[in-house]
Amino acid sequence: MADKFCMVVSEGSFDKAMMPLIMGNTAASMGMEVHVFYTFFGLKLLKKGNRPKLPGFMRFFTGMMEKKMRKLNVPGIEEMTKQARELGVHFYACSTSMALMGIKESDLAEGTKVLGASAFLNLAADSKMTLFIG
Amino acid sequence: MPIVQLAKKMKELKSGQILELLADDVGAKEDVPAWCSRTGNQLVGTEEEGKIFKFYIRVK
Repeated sequence: MADKFCMVVSEGSFDKAMMPLIMGNTAASMGMEVHVFYTFFGLKLLKKGNRPKLPGFMRFFTGMMEKKMRKLNVPGIEEMTKQARELGVHFYACSTSMALMGIKESDLAEGTKVLGASAFLNLAADSKMTLFIG
Repeated sequence: MPIVQLAKKMKELKSGQILELLADDVGAKEDVPAWCSRTGNQLVGTEEEGKIFKFYIRVK
């Protein structure tokens, strides 16, 4: 059975968008079963058409960061998300946070599953690694 | 990110074949051996040519 790797993402900025994708895609490439749970502000990242910005006042420099990434051949968020889905990375939206943040299932990107805390904890309980991001 | 592309390409190959990976990512030096040991594929050789790292991996 593949090792499980779970991540919880609670912020919606550009850097917090990238981190679970980089680690998740790499882990999936290494044969791990990856589950990423988005909660509170992290839910923004699962909304259709969302374009994350760098945190705080750095948001104005997001374009510069994206340019640098292209220069260094680091794939952007859209490409990494597509790669993640191809690699079988599981994306979950926290049902409680959805209610609190006023997000409907129809707002979420395709392929996102909705889970409550218990179901996620069940997944994480016997996972080899669990990380909290932001 | 060479690892993701490596994993993808390896799936297309048959057991016993050798894949040559060229990477300009400094992290690849550690990443590729780690990936190999994790997935049970054997790293049979490495070379460094200037800024390019070459890896030879035998498909399990």
